[in-house]
Amino acid sequence: MLATLLEFLREKHRTTPMWMKVLIPVLGVGSLGVVAVMGAFLAFVVTAWLGQPIPVLGFDQSVEQPIAFPHTIHAGMGVYTDSTGDQVQGLGMDCTFCHRTVTSQANAGVPPVQFCAYCHQVIGGEESEPLTQVRTAAGIIGDSPHPIDWKRVHRMPDHVRFVHEPHIRYLTQHPDKVTNSTSGETMGAAGVCSTCHGDVASMEEVAQVEPLKMGQCVNCHRDNDAPTDCASCHH
Amino acid sequence: MTLQREKRDYSWGMVVDVDKCTGCQACVLACQAENNVPLNLQDRFERARVMSWIRVERYWEGEFPDIKARFIPIMCQHCENAPCEPVCPVFATYHNNEGLNVQVYNRCVGTRYCANGCPYIVRFFNYWEPVWPEAFRNHLNPDVTVRSRGIMEKCSFCIQRIRRGVRNAERENRDVVDGEIQTACTQACPTDALVFGNFMDEDSKVSKMKKDDRHYTLLPHLETDPNVVYLAKIDTDKSAGESHG
Ligand code: HEC
Ligand code: HEC
Ligand code: HEC
Ligand code: HEC
Ligand code: HEC
Repeated sequence: MLATLLEFLREKHRTTPMWMKVLIPVLGVGSLGVVAVMGAFLAFVVTAWLGQPIPVLGFDQSVEQPIAFPHTIHAGMGVYTDSTGDQVQGLGMDCTFCHRTVTSQANAGVPPVQFCAYCHQVIGGEESEPLTQVRTAAGIIGDSPHPIDWKRVHRMPDHVRFVHEPHIRYLTQHPDKVTNSTSGETMGAAGVCSTCHGDVASMEEVAQVEPLKMGQCVNCHRDNDAPTDCASCHH
Repeated sequence: MTLQREKRDYSWGMVVDVDKCTGCQACVLACQAENNVPLNLQDRFERARVMSWIRVERYWEGEFPDIKARFIPIMCQHCENAPCEPVCPVFATYHNNEGLNVQVYNRCVGTRYCANGCPYIVRFFNYWEPVWPEAFRNHLNPDVTVRSRGIMEKCSFCIQRIRRGVRNAERENRDVVDGEIQTACTQACPTDALVFGNFMDEDSKVSKMKKDDRHYTLLPHLETDPNVVYLAKIDTDKSAGESHG
């Protein structure tokens, strides 16, 4: 039985033309490649549909900032390495110290460069590249002070109106609703940001971790007796 | 639709005292600026594609020489029984539980059925992408969506101001004070001909004005039950004659 089968294959091998012998493995490998690409594409589409697209096809959503500002050193509590290789103890600054309007207004706000200069006029080494940029922008080095053109990381489409104030108010009153908090800290305004922004204090570079699509907003609103009227978010 | 909260604290509405209207158009301008309405340049008039969420209609009463110019501001009437709502195939326009007729721009697909249904002609379709002169770049209101081409829009009773007012009140744990929330047009009106407020509150200015004998609504035979109430013009000749015998 086995012998007949082997004989048959040997016969076949002899009679198969050369071009076919080349084509079959090429097609085999090629179709594996096609399957891989299609799989990656499908994964991209599905994850983008459900939330954040996985960065397989080069569509990485991270944003390059004009100055490599580390949230870790400023807001974190651990020990971090700065750009000059020194070990720095995190300052554990309150988020609202820099994002001042987050508890009162729609926008959280990013501090002006003068604000950074209060500390960085003296703090941090001369040789630090990012701090040189900060000092140049603040007019401490040279004489062309200019605002820093930070890039937006989180941005709702134009047809959505998001307001920070009621969320911070609600979450500070209901610490049990706070999620994503890796430090376990859920008290105070600074403890609640993780619900939507992830643990920013441990991010070298801020990235969006929650999808922040309509489904997420409305689910939480429905569960917490917040308005689900279209007009509260779209107008 | 079960997406709305049951409790109803507010029923927003407006009272327009036609007797006080001088036809100055301040409301029109204020509305245009507040709500990012595109500029109406000459070609829009020529093509009869003017967009103006509120307009002041002028009409003549009487025969020359005994003739009077009359003005009446007209905006979306926020009908409780709105003819525009049931015709929308995608629910982009609906009535919310605060008495507002809401237009969800991102839901709109631009069939224009609603504009055809509206007897007051207060819905406007974006036939073009809106453009502003360079000088206006940073003058747009960030609280209001810029409507793109192919979308219907109309007076929203300045919902961005309503939301902000309600939020401020909630933050301070109190009710909205009458007169605290103003739409752009009522704020701009120099003679207070336009008054905005909460009909749910018996003591509000609008509730009191609504009880005036002069009150009427536009096209009442259509039974749209508008949330905009008009107070009729007082004819000085006639009333003078009546009161002084
Ligand atoms: C020293 C001041 C400072 C502190 C403290 C600070 N931030 Fe920031 N934050 C910034 C600056 C500057 C930017 C803009 C640069 C960037 O995106 O990295 C920023 C950006 C962000 C962004 C991204 C904004 C966008 O564009 O979408 C988020 C989210 C954020 N911060 C959250 C937090 C949270 C949460 C905390 C507290 C754990 C915090 N920040 C503490 C200064 C600060
Ligand atoms: C409360 C004081 C304080 C404020 C305000 C502050 N920083 Fe810092 N920052 C520090 C300290 C302390 C370090 C650690 C310095 C070191 O590396 O030795 C630091 C480090 C940095 C570094 C990293 C330096 C390196 O060499 O890696 C950057 C970049 C920086 N800050 C930018 C900013 C910017 C931008 C702002 C304004 C949004 C700001 N800082 C506001 C205290 C502050
Ligand atoms: C309910 C979710 C939620 C919470 C909680 C939240 N944010 Fe945000 N945040 C957002 C969304 C959504 C945006 C994008 C807003 C937009 O594009 O209009 C944003 C944007 C930002 C931005 C950049 C744009 C701006 O508004 O200046 C900063 C900075 C920021 N958040 C900081 C914070 C801080 C600090 C906290 C905690 C005190 C916080 N956020 C809590 C959802 C949230
Ligand atoms: C963690 C749960 C949660 C998430 C996630 C959330 N919200 Fe909210 N939101 C609330 C609560 C609770 C309130 C009501 C607060 C109050 O007034 O007591 C609220 C209020 C609001 C308001 C104010 C409504 C008003 O009365 O004017 C807006 C606008 C809003 N949310 C938009 C959004 C958007 C857009 C998103 C998605 C990016 C979002 N929210 C995500 C919980 C959430
Ligand atoms: C709690 C806030 C919230 C409420 C309430 C809400 N939306 Fe949204 N909606 C959003 C957010 C946030 C987005 C943007 C999502 C994204 O980034 O793709 C959105 C997007 C949309 C889009 C566009 C989707 C797209 O892919 O462009 C439509 C259409 C829409 N909403 C319709 C509605 C309708 C209709 C209602 C009322 C039944 C409603 N929304 C209520 C927050 C809300």
